[in-house]
Amino acid sequence: MSMFRAKKMDIGSFLNIHVIRDHTKRKVYAQFEPERQALRHIIRNTTLPARTRAEAQLQLTQMHCYTRPTQIRGRCLMGGKGRGVFRDFKLSRYNFRMQALEGNLPGVRKASW
Amino acid sequence: MSRTSILQPLRQTLTRPVARQPRSAFIASISRSNASIAKPNQMPTASTPANEELTVPFPMRHEIHPEEQAVRLPRSVQALYLQPLRREANYGVPTCDLQLRSYSVPNLEFFCDFALRAAYYLNLPAFGPVPLPKIKERWTVPKSHFIFKKSQENFERITRRRLIQIRDGHPESVQIWLAFLQKHAYYGIGMKANVWEYSKLGVGKEMEGQGQSMQDVVEEKMKLLGRDKTEGTVQKVQELLESERFRVQGG
Repeated sequence: MSMFRAKKMDIGSFLNIHVIRDHTKRKVYAQFEPERQALRHIIRNTTLPARTRAEAQLQLTQMHCYTRPTQIRGRCLMGGKGRGVFRDFKLSRYNFRMQALEGNLPGVRKASW
Repeated sequence: MSRTSILQPLRQTLTRPVARQPRSAFIASISRSNASIAKPNQMPTASTPANEELTVPFPMRHEIHPEEQAVRLPRSVQALYLQPLRREANYGVPTCDLQLRSYSVPNLEFFCDFALRAAYYLNLPAFGPVPLPKIKERWTVPKSHFIFKKSQENFERITRRRLIQIRDGHPESVQIWLAFLQKHAYYGIGMKANVWEYSKLGVGKEMEGQGQSMQDVVEEKMKLLGRDKTEGTVQKVQELLESERFRVQGG
């Protein structure tokens, strides 16, 4: 959502709209994490009145989807791809192969056994 | 000290096979290197005379005075060409386990050697390097588009590990050793150390005595539940419960 997006670009990796979106989601998630946890706490706290807890449930569901951690997805640093991304390198399989063959990844070499 | 006499042992190591000498060969190798310094022309080399001509650069081939020949390298410099020396452990109580990790063997071996020598000069009995099991990570990726999934390529990354154990080390000198290794950290090598400290009997009483002063530190730590910082969730809960919306609902 553009309302959360930074006015000036604040990442230096490969850029496309998916990357920017994911970056924005990460920032929004970090920003709203205390609120989200507070609401979760109120919901689970059985000593509080039921109405309060119900209200907290409502508020939690009404929070923006960008504040959810499940929205965050690992993306390729060099190609912006969302699928087939190795967590170890944050690279998609194609870019991983290219970088590995060039020798840019320390210790990674062609295997044969 | 002339340049030739410095180069003599170096040349010897270059011509010598790389295989490690057993420790029993230590004294023999010292005497041999002495002999080679004293009579460089008769040094037995594996290379042919023609090769030797090539290996010695031009300015090195000047006349060697007998006086120069008599001068030997300092023992500490000579020791660099030999296996690292070690201190004897009297009790064999482990005080520090240092694990070194790297993707490349030569760097790792070099730094292990360095660490052992440093331990020797700090009067620490060091044991090792023990080669620990390699960590093999493998990735398989399609060579091109998915329709050609049948042709794939394998990549691997092997992390090699070495363990150096210090026994009977004084905690302070162990700390100095670790700090020294960290200061001269070599590229591409990770280090991880487990340090054990031993104290006298009656630890409980001693800790009780320190209890008062430690109380503040513990409380400071427990305020954040063992973390470095809080997200401010507690304040947020209070804020939410006091907010207009919740009060109307709860009231």
